[in-house]
Formats: sequence, C-alpha cells, structure tokens
Amino acid sequence: MRDALALRDDELERIALALGREPTVVELHAFDAQWSEHCSYKSSRHHLKKLPVAGGDVALGPGEDSGILHLGEHDGVRYGIVIAHESHNHPSQVVPFEGAATGIGGIVRDVLCMGAEVIGVADPLRFGRVEDPGSHQRTVARGVVDGIGAYGNAIGVPNLAGDVYFDEGFDDNALVNVVAMGLVKLDEVVHSYAPPGAAGWDVVLVGKATDPSGFGGASFSSLVLDAGDEEANKGAVQVPDPFLKNVLMRASYRVFAMLRERKLVVGFKDLGAGGIMGCSAEIVSSGGFGAQIDLDAVNVAVEGMPPEVVAVGETQERLIWVLPPEITPEVLRIYNEEFTLPEIAYNARAVRIGGVTAERRYVLRHRGTTVMDVDIEFLTGSIRDELPYVECTRVEPARRELPAVDVETLLPKILAHRDVCSREPLYRRYDWVVRGRTVLPRGAADAGVLAPVPGARLGVALAVAGNPRIGRLDARYAGAHAVLEAVRRVIAVGARPIGLTDCLNFGNPRKPEQYGEFVAAVEGLSDAARALDLAFVSGNVSLYNESKSGRAVPASPIVACVGAVRDVGHVVSPGLRRAGSALLWIGSRELAVGGSVLAEIAAIEGDLPAIDYVAENEAMGMIKAGIARGSVLSCRAVGDGGMLVALARLAFDAYARGRRLGFEIDFANPFCETGGFVCEVTGDSELDLSGALRVGTTLDRPEIVANGSRFGIAELRRVWSQPLEEVYP
Amino acid sequence: MSGRIAVLVFPGTNSEDETLRLLRECGGDADLVHWSNAGALDEYDAYVLPGGFAYEDRVRAGAIAAHDRMMDRVIEGTQRGKLALGICNGAQILLEAGLVPGTGAVRRPTAAFTHNAPVPHFVCRHVYVKLAMDPARSPMTAGLANDAVIPAYTANGQGRLVATPERLREIAAGDHQAFVYARADGSLGDDAIPNGSASGIAALVNREGNVLAIMPHPERDAWNFNHLDRAEGSDPLAPSGGAVFFRSFVAGVRR
Repeated sequence: MRDALALRDDELERIALALGREPTVVELHAFDAQWSEHCSYKSSRHHLKKLPVAGGDVALGPGEDSGILHLGEHDGVRYGIVIAHESHNHPSQVVPFEGAATGIGGIVRDVLCMGAEVIGVADPLRFGRVEDPGSHQRTVARGVVDGIGAYGNAIGVPNLAGDVYFDEGFDDNALVNVVAMGLVKLDEVVHSYAPPGAAGWDVVLVGKATDPSGFGGASFSSLVLDAGDEEANKGAVQVPDPFLKNVLMRASYRVFAMLRERKLVVGFKDLGAGGIMGCSAEIVSSGGFGAQIDLDAVNVAVEGMPPEVVAVGETQERLIWVLPPEITPEVLRIYNEEFTLPEIAYNARAVRIGGVTAERRYVLRHRGTTVMDVDIEFLTGSIRDELPYVECTRVEPARRELPAVDVETLLPKILAHRDVCSREPLYRRYDWVVRGRTVLPRGAADAGVLAPVPGARLGVALAVAGNPRIGRLDARYAGAHAVLEAVRRVIAVGARPIGLTDCLNFGNPRKPEQYGEFVAAVEGLSDAARALDLAFVSGNVSLYNESKSGRAVPASPIVACVGAVRDVGHVVSPGLRRAGSALLWIGSRELAVGGSVLAEIAAIEGDLPAIDYVAENEAMGMIKAGIARGSVLSCRAVGDGGMLVALARLAFDAYARGRRLGFEIDFANPFCETGGFVCEVTGDSELDLSGALRVGTTLDRPEIVANGSRFGIAELRRVWSQPLEEVYP
Repeated sequence: MSGRIAVLVFPGTNSEDETLRLLRECGGDADLVHWSNAGALDEYDAYVLPGGFAYEDRVRAGAIAAHDRMMDRVIEGTQRGKLALGICNGAQILLEAGLVPGTGAVRRPTAAFTHNAPVPHFVCRHVYVKLAMDPARSPMTAGLANDAVIPAYTANGQGRLVATPERLREIAAGDHQAFVYARADGSLGDDAIPNGSASGIAALVNREGNVLAIMPHPERDAWNFNHLDRAEGSDPLAPSGGAVFFRSFVAGVRR
C-alpha cells in the first residue's frame, strides 16, 4: 500500500493551522483525497468558470454528479437526459482491463444517482502506437476495450458512441474517457445533496463491502505516473464488479419507484474519489449540514482495516443515500432482501453508517474514539490553487504546402490510416442494442441514436470528438474544433444539439507551458459553445497526463454532444440511398492541410483551416433545414480524412446494407479537413443551395470515381475495414 | 389455461424490460418474476428467460443459473407441458438445465453454447435466422410461415453450439434445430453465421416442442426504428420482424 501523500507542505501547514493541532492519520488521508486535484479542481475551477453553463435546454447545470438536459415532452411528461463524462486514464494505464471497467462503473453511478435509468455509454479513447504486438501500448489498447465491453455489456447499457486515436503522444499515458447517459422525468430528479430539513436523517451506505482496493486513488490520479512505481500503483486501482452493479442498478430503480410513490425528497450520491469520507462529506455539506459517521458500521470485506482505509478507500460499486429515518428500513429491505445483495457479493448490503447533523462538522468515529473532527466547509470547499501558466501559442508550420493531389495513391492510404480506418473490430465487442431502444447503433453513423421513452417518437443522439493531431498544434483551436465536430456529428443524423460535456485531459499543471495548454483549450471550448449557443452541463478535468520523461499528452479537450430528435422516424439512415442524386458539400472549402491525415501521410505542413462561426452556424442551419424538409437523403460530417473519406463512408454504409451504389466527384483537394458536411439530396430538392457546392453525383454501381481515378467499393471497403483486425481480432 | 407468462430475472439478467414490453405489446399477459420470489413461478403457464449474464456467467454461461431455485420450477413446469422460451443467456440456461435439446437427463447437458469462433470474443452483430423445422413442430413457432426469416441481433461471447459428432447427429435426427442463421433473403452461407455455431444452428427445440432456446435477440429488432433496413417512410413505432416471432410465441401460450 502506498503511504506517500500528494499533499504539499504548505497545504499540510494550512490544515494544522486550521485545526489548531496536528491532524490525525485519518484526517491526513481525508485531506489528501479531498484536496487532490481530482476531487477539488483546485487549480482548474476558476478557469472552468469561463465555460457557458446555462441555456434554454439546460435543466441542471454543473455542480452535482451529472448535468441534465431537457429532451422533450411525451404524453405531458417532460423528459431529461442525464449526462456525465469523466476520465479513467491513470488506472487504465496501469491495469487496463480493470481501470477501464471501473471507469464505466463510476460514470454509470454518477448518472444513476440522479434518479435516472442508465440508457447509454460512450468511450472516447486515445492509445499509443500499437503496431508492435508485444508492446505495452497494445496490451493497454486491448485491455481497455475488453474492460469497457465486459462491464457495459454485463450491466446491460448499450454503447452508442465513441472514437479512438492512436498516437505516439499517448505511448506512456493512454486516455480512457467515458460518458454515460440516463433518462429521467424532470420532476423526479434525485439530487446529490441532503435536502432542506435533513438534520437527524440517516446516512445509508449501499453496495460492495469495503475492502483495501483503491486506497489512495484520488491522489494517485493527481500524480505523474512513474514506470518504476507500477506495482505500488496497482494497489490504488479499484476492482470492478459489474455483476453486483447490475443488481445494484435494478434495486435502485425499485427504490426510486418506492420514493416516488411516497413523494419523498432525499439525497443520493455516488462514491468516487475519497470514498465514504468524500461522498458523505459532500452530500451533507452541499445541503448545508455536517455528519457523524461510524466506521464500525461499514460492511467490510476484511476485518481489521485501518480507519483511514475504510474512510477514504475507493472500493467500487457503492453509493450513499441520505434518508428520513422512517424510510430507511424499507430501503434496506429492498436492497438486502428483495434484491438479496448479501447473496450477490460477499457482505454486499445497504447499511446505516451515520447521521446528518445540523452542526457543520465532519466527524468520523472508530472503535469508540473520534478519528476525525473537522470543519466540513474547510474540508469540502476551501481549497484553491492558482498556478502560473504560459500563454499557449500555435505551433506554426515550417512550410506551407499544398501539393498536387494524387487521389489514385492517396485515397487507399488515407482510408487505411489508423485514425480513419474502420473501428468495427473494436466496437463489435460492445453491446449496442441491449435494452431494445437502439435506432442508430454504434458505428452506423456519425452519432448513436436511441428511442429512450418506450412508445414515444422522441429520440436522443450522442457523439464525441477531440482530435489529437490538432491538439498538438494549437490547444485553443483543438477545444473549439472538438465542440464543432461533436455538434456536426449530432446534426448529421438529424438531431438538434441540446448540450455538451467535456473531459479535459492535459499534462502537469505545475509546468506553466503544459498548464497554459489547459487554459487555452478551455477558452476554445468556451468560444465555440457560445458561438453555437450551447452549454456544458457536466465535465471532468484530468491533469498530470505526463510520463516521467516529462512529456505531456497532446492537448486533449474531448467533447460529447447530446442531440434531441423529435421523431425517430426522421433520423437520417446510414448510407447513400439512390443513384442520380446530387452530392453537396456544405461548409468551408478552404484549402488548408494543417493537422490533417493528408499532411501526415504526405509529410507536408500547412495552416489550420480558419474557424468562421457565422459560416458554421449557416452550414448547420442548412443541414437541419434540409433534413427537416426531407430533402437530405444521406449525410455525414466531414472529419478525419476530409470530404472524400466522408463520401466513401456513405458508400460503404450503403454497400453494407446491400445497396450497390457509388459516386463520382471532382474537387481540387478532397482530403482537406475543413469541416462542414457532405450530403446526398433529392433531385427536386428545395434545399437553398447558396453556400453549398455541388461536388458530384451518385452512381448506380459500386464504384467511386474521384478526380478521374476509379475504385471498386468492395475492394476499397476491404482496405478501410482491415487495419484494426490485427489489434482486435 | 389463462396464458400467464413469467419473465424470469436472475441475478445478472439484463434484457428483462424490453422482453416484457414486447410480450405485452404482442398481447401477452406477462410479469417479471425475480429470483427472490421463485415460488411465484407456479402461478404462470409459460416462462421466458431473457438475456444477460446470470450469475456472471461463472463456470460457463448459464451453468450456475441452471441450478437456481427458479429453474426447479421451470424444469417441473415444462415436464408438465408448460412452454419455456430462452433468449441468449436464457437459451444458455435452458441448455445447461438439459431441457434443450433434451436428449439427456435433466441438468446433464448434451451440448454447449460456448466461446465464439474463430476468435473467442463477444460479438455484436445484426443477423437473420430462418425457421429450420415445420412451424407446427412447436406451439411457439406455429404462427410462423414455413421458412420464416426473423431479424435479430446476436450479442454474446458464448453463442457457438458445440457437441460431439454423435450428439450433433442426434440433434439433426431428432429435428431439434429450430432456427439456423441465414442471410436476409433466407439463403444459407458461412458469412451468415456470426460465431462458427455447429450446422449454423441459432436455436434448439426439445422433442416435445415446448422448450425453445434461441441465441440471437429478436426483441432487439422489434420495432421499425430498431430495423436499419426499414422501408422509407414506415412508421417507426410499428412492429418489425422480431415482433412476428413474439406474436407466434404469445399465440402458442394462449393456445
């Protein structure tokens, strides 16, 4: 077990000064967890304030375990989409399967505890180079995917969206981001705080028996990974139990129903960083209360654990309720008898571990003695750490080139590129159709779509974005680009974007250059979200993504976008529809190659395309209008690999559905990644064509003719679908 | 018979809600019955075992659940002629309980649904299954046309039927192949089989025809919105091919 603390000397002095005495061992570990960057956002919080968090579709902004967006109404009921997004980078680098699985497990609890049914997950992943079969990078890339699949499949939550990039910048530090989405009626939300009048109520712990796993997890994720410490670090990683979680979720749904019947307002919160201490302190403190917790009441897996391990250890699959005492027996009965938690996992159960106090102190008792007694506001709210940073500037290209484009040789190379080729070998290991509500499954289109409310036409779309090739050139641009790309993907399936989440994966905040990238990326996210009139309702910051060699990961602001669909019958279905349709390119057609797959393959440099929010809004508006009128037959956002890749994907999608169609285009450089959309429109389209460029026509045979070069679709699709088969056989 | 259907929930089941909903939409009088309430199963006339990972697939998918208290009731009920339908993990449980193909003793399986091939991984994929027996062979399929083709999703890590050559001959000779994997047009081929299952078998039926175990999930392609190949302009909330199979099942229960 690690005994190293991440607290700094000045922080230790502050604690001793405030307490008027030396802190106890338990208090030291409590502050170590609670004041870690992971829990406190001490260095990032004031920058995050720049992000827009309010707007027409926001039902609940950041501040609780998840944010909530207003999806729409059905039968007079207003439905909300609960959304949370976080990282599990450090654990996944050390023990990939368990680290990634517990990432899904944790994010699902964040959504569950809002009173929601968990309806979908997504997994933006960033891996190192995986070409060498014996490399740790490949072990990580495989283990992570298997961990996500094993957990998500078992709990029965469909995987709807995700992306993956392979880049040497992630060789020592993979990024495993996870997004979870839930459905809740807006008048039935359960909050992550003790409600007014909760003094004297019960604090009830439910879930897995507390064990020594995950001790020191919060501060672990706020340290730089050292290869030599790997064995020691493994102890900080939690152990997933999706089997128990499956039952815990269903039992919690039953408790929600019981509480609704009795019209009770209570508090419910996930145990994450900081364990029992962190969760119980936050749920009562944010309601304006204190708590007294009896560590001896905690159901444990092994006797004789030190109190600090019971208090701050991060054993998975646990949540805390704040309940009026008269309802506690019924909640315990549902978990322990109806859903037989003690029979599902060793000593798993729901148990009362303490009470809410009016006095604003946080007190832990262990074997008859007080092992922690601190001002709860000092513990949960007082830490702030303004770090210096260096203004981040763009990496300007050494040369500005735009070579003559040889489509004949470039198209197959770009389709086989690791950032462009088919992700199916990876995501076929995930269940994207469990729960029976899937409209557009994972990988079928730019965004996944569900019909979440049984019997209703309402749909919800989910997409993610974040491009590391751009992140290494310009962090601010990368933030804006991630927002634009995630939003475009949601629009391309026919949804209206209603909100965003972000996970900000950066290097060491104590290095001003690396911290400057974080600050700049937040500004980029803010610029783009404001320009598109969208808000961030939840998010997460993951810093210290740096190896001992001192290299930070490429700036990785990763964004998820939620979209609302009024009628799932109008979702744009995948693939070209018919021969003889016009193909339009809507959006910027600037010839710029900076950050593109083309630039990497051709070993050239160039500027990043300019971002023009007015033009973006116009392009998005045109696509929305075209889809609403039914004149858009098929559509994809232009991303990695450029416009020709987006069109090829439409042709591949059609081919997979048995439609033998192709297309012919002619355009100077069809590999520039300037964004926008390509779409197939009806011949008698009423689409306003101003601002759209007709680039070609669909063909009645499975062939691509691009700038005069001819390709058979079956062969090209093989080139595109093969590369990851070796990594994910 | 009043035709009441129990949808069994084992610890680890994950497809109970959509299965229940589709049964009800198809006219079934169905309820969820949890493992802690096994005694209630005696009040029902038919059992549906939905998908999931009962008991975490420990030992082998379905192996532990086959010994659950609920399965005592299912075994007894089916011996008295009640109907049982298992989907995915439910199919694995029925097989481990020895109820399909039913050529051995109770809880002594004569075949296995085991790790997919060629790579032993979970595979999620849209498939079609084709009725491989006379519809009248089972009350559950009696409402289907000859050679009916049903859309479904396969989503499992252990869906490949294996058995010894003699046991496979027994399955063929006893007409225990209920459904085989097929292409959308009903034609057969290796490309239609997602997991290397013996003889392309997707579902097994017992000798009496009252127990049917199907690996892919018809309930996940139950509505037009689930079905990517739906006709343009079709009502997204209207039932699709998966519901056809469930209607036949419900009709069989009411028979």
